[in-house]
Amino acid sequence: MIPSQFDYESPTTIDEALMLLAQNPDETKILAGGHSLIPAMKLRLAQPSLLVDLARIKDLSYVREEANNILIGAMTTHYEIESSSLLKRICPLLPECASHIGDVQVRNKGTIGGSIAHSDPAGDWPAAIIALNAEMVTVGNNGERTIRADDFFVDFLTTALEPGEILREIRIPKPAGRFGHAYQKVRHPASGFAVVGVAAALNFNGNNACGTAGIAVTGVAAKAYRAANVEKALAGKQIDDNIAADAAAHACDGAEINADLYASADYRRHLAILHTRRAIQNALTRASA
Amino acid sequence: MNLEGSHTINAPRARVYASLIDPEVLQQCIPGCERLERTAPDTYAMTIRAGVGPIKGLFNGTVGMEDLREPEHYRLAVEGKGSTGFLKGSGDFDLHEEGETTVIKYSGKMQVGGMIASVGQRLVLSAARMMASQFFANLAKQTVKPTEQVKTNSAQHSE
Repeated sequence: MIPSQFDYESPTTIDEALMLLAQNPDETKILAGGHSLIPAMKLRLAQPSLLVDLARIKDLSYVREEANNILIGAMTTHYEIESSSLLKRICPLLPECASHIGDVQVRNKGTIGGSIAHSDPAGDWPAAIIALNAEMVTVGNNGERTIRADDFFVDFLTTALEPGEILREIRIPKPAGRFGHAYQKVRHPASGFAVVGVAAALNFNGNNACGTAGIAVTGVAAKAYRAANVEKALAGKQIDDNIAADAAAHACDGAEINADLYASADYRRHLAILHTRRAIQNALTRASA
Repeated sequence: MNLEGSHTINAPRARVYASLIDPEVLQQCIPGCERLERTAPDTYAMTIRAGVGPIKGLFNGTVGMEDLREPEHYRLAVEGKGSTGFLKGSGDFDLHEEGETTVIKYSGKMQVGGMIASVGQRLVLSAARMMASQFFANLAKQTVKPTEQVKTNSAQHSE
């Protein structure tokens, strides 16, 4: 399939990119890997008149460690995160989540920023980003903004990004103390997207009780969401299999569950509860190891 | 595909019903509706520019109002076609009085075909739900304080 005609710009600074975007924000799309946007354009579902490619902008691709934060540039590819030895050590949820995305080609070209800004309801990153309480750093003509993950994903394919704004960095509070991470996914056999994906980030007190729990679910509703009732059921508890199962039963509380040809709403609910339990158990096992 | 739900509008039933069958109000409420013209009694020609995220499409079609039982029930039948696919559906609206407010229960069946359905099947229901919730949010704005709200809307467009 052939996309409709469009112009292409590949600026070398973010200011230049912002200027290009400001000319006609509604008809312009940012290209950040292109593994969702280009297929949509080839099918003519999306017909932007201008693509602004961020690939040549220096210093948008990095993984850095600060005092209390992990900083990830928006153009960092899924593979760079999957293979980062730093992240495997200090925040293993990110490489694990990356390893589940699409296929090798997608992971080599697709970027964390592109995926988050696109906010596909079955994308893997939004679950991990919410569970880890990340913040999105955006730039626009009015300067920089920092948006919490809970506020960033607004609705189906809709984020808090304003037209004319670019996602620059993902900032993640460094997991501290004893913690366990896990990402559980049922992949759609054809697309690789999550039929259900559950991210769990648990940390533990000195007495082995769960301190804070971050649990987020993707693939189930119009956007990824925080499973707040699961988190509440885990916080402060000495987690065992029963507590994990009781907590996981709340995985779909308040969610309007999606249905498609592959999975009915009931089946999705079943998978979400099952995989939330497994994610909790895996995170617990890893924290104890 | 079925779409069901209910919304509460903070206005008396007679006014909500009048809004729901008023093409001018409907045009303000249907997300992306650029044109709604009467072609026959209870039949309208419609142009919608609908889009979510990067996916955008222009749809032309007709809207029919059927089974009008003021002030409690009517059916909206929609048929549309665009470059990215086609859509055919109908929805029943039932209005119940609850004190000062009106509860609208809706239940619709929808068929989506063509490109948008074959490649976007997993996305169609979420998109439809999002458009439904936008529709009712707009309806609430239009109905609760009709005159003032129309003014604010036009002010926003001119910015």
